[in-house]
Amino acid sequence: MEIMKSKEYLPVLKIAGINFRHHSFFSVIVSAAILIITPVIFGISNLDETAAAVPLEMFVSLIGIVLLTPIFQPEQNPEIADVVLPKHVSADLIYLIRAVYLFVSLMALIALFGIFMRIQKSDVPLLLLVGTMANAVFLGSLGMLAAALANHTVIAYMIPLVYYMLNYGAGRKLGNYYLFSMRTLDFQPKLWLLTTGILLVFASLLIERLKRKRR
Amino acid sequence: MLYLRELKKVMFSFSYILFVIIAVFALFSQGVLDFADNIISEPVAGGNYGAKREEIPEVIMPAALQSLYIEFQENNYKCYPVGFLKNVKLNDEEQMRIAEIIADITGMDVDEIYRTQGAVRSNGNDVFFGVSDNKNLSYAAFQERMQEVDDILGGGSSYAKEALIGFGTVSVSYEDACTAYGLATGQDQITGGYARLFSDYAVAMVFAIFPVFLAVIISMKDHHAKMSELIYTRKAPGIRIVGMRYLAVLTAVMIPAVILSYVSNAAVWGMYQGMELDYFAPLKYDFGWIMPTAMMSIAVGMFFTELTNTPIAIAVQGIWWFIDLNVGMRSVSAAYSLMRLAPRHNADSSSYFRTQDFIDNFSNLVCNRLLFTAFSILLVAAAAVAFEAKRKGKINGNHEIKRIFAGIKNRRD
Repeated sequence: MEIMKSKEYLPVLKIAGINFRHHSFFSVIVSAAILIITPVIFGISNLDETAAAVPLEMFVSLIGIVLLTPIFQPEQNPEIADVVLPKHVSADLIYLIRAVYLFVSLMALIALFGIFMRIQKSDVPLLLLVGTMANAVFLGSLGMLAAALANHTVIAYMIPLVYYMLNYGAGRKLGNYYLFSMRTLDFQPKLWLLTTGILLVFASLLIERLKRKRR
Repeated sequence: MLYLRELKKVMFSFSYILFVIIAVFALFSQGVLDFADNIISEPVAGGNYGAKREEIPEVIMPAALQSLYIEFQENNYKCYPVGFLKNVKLNDEEQMRIAEIIADITGMDVDEIYRTQGAVRSNGNDVFFGVSDNKNLSYAAFQERMQEVDDILGGGSSYAKEALIGFGTVSVSYEDACTAYGLATGQDQITGGYARLFSDYAVAMVFAIFPVFLAVIISMKDHHAKMSELIYTRKAPGIRIVGMRYLAVLTAVMIPAVILSYVSNAAVWGMYQGMELDYFAPLKYDFGWIMPTAMMSIAVGMFFTELTNTPIAIAVQGIWWFIDLNVGMRSVSAAYSLMRLAPRHNADSSSYFRTQDFIDNFSNLVCNRLLFTAFSILLVAAAAVAFEAKRKGKINGNHEIKRIFAGIKNRRD
């Protein structure tokens, strides 16, 4: 009966809830821990817009790596994959649902932190938070892409980290893909980062799909 | 042999190849693989030899006071507790305390100073600035007062005892430049300076962080391959399995370090023909400077992975590395402090490698490196204990953690 019903409509919320609890809760806790230590490392009170951009784009955005990179992790275990992949609900859909709720979690965490900074009398306009989100999505999507290609989540964490470090050395030479542009109130790169990030998310979902077809 | 088998496992893995590529790429992008445009030459009389910081009370005291007074008026103190700007705002009581300290040093009236708060920003010249003559304040007493200011501000300000030297900028004289050149060619025998510069970047950008990935991957491999139970039944004690694995990862990590340090160093050998060079300098720095940090990074990776079966070690080491990197080099001694994950020197040929600073801080560096070596060995031992505990079924990796998170709501609702 249950099965018949699930063919007619998809219990999307239920899938999201179960996946979140089993696969993503730990990442969210680690991300929250990163946000909690942020005020220890950075000043977050009484900052003007340019100064407020520093902790946001340089540190808070790192939670994108923590949240998005392990999205394919459960099925990277071949035995889990053998059990899960033949199911009626396709893995693509599961990944998509995960991606959506991870985006929502990311937005919620960044927004909460932004509100906290505002309470601390910092000037945090919405645009700064959107820019932070763009960084987080871009870094996270690099991790997702690496995870899809390497089929290994731990290896995948290295790639966004390398790109992040490259921004210290290469700086503005990265053009529209420079991560730390908000400090100078340049928001154009954020548009590129966000768009590319979303495209890379879909690209990695596509790679996972192609990989499954070849199995 | 266990060691060789583990070494082979590490060195023929995709993650290791990626690690080597990242190391080459990171060091290349930092410009430390080629020092061709970074050559030291004997100072010529009448040139400009840059600026340096020196503890000259007559220079430091008025400059520090002036800076403090301006920040006091605006009630906006710039502090760098972990390298990033932190604007500190004080409450009335604390502001009063700062006013008292300024009054104490200058001999002016406290209330008068306190009233100037929020006044139109003075450029500093229209007000007194200087230590009162009648007080005969010694530099040591001045330092103490400034340290008190730093304590009120919560640390990381320019007024901390060891940071005050930042106000003492003087230009380098010809004689000083000659002495520095003599040390760079004598004590460092040229190659030492380059090896130090290489190690500074290599540790900060590669060996403080990336070895943790290799350690995590190799430690999770048994679990992933479902081999844990098989290994648990073997005779070999946990300390041997974990220890050999540790040595294998360390060997694998140090091989590119040694090769790259020689690639970088040998590039300048030709430029100093006829001079006495120390061809073993890179090797000394590889094992003395780079290795303890790599040891720590690997030990953190193995310990947390054995304990939890999760890649949480990456987050732990990542945050430590990030903080350490951004503490930066506010003062020379801070760059060599006891808990520095990545000691910094960062002096190139333009400052004649600042050999004297290195000599002055050498004992600190030795303490730091010994501490890191000892601590990482302890962590490996702890990892072995965790391994044994799992073997006996006392702990079960991340199962407990997973149960906590997944059990919040029963799945069958």
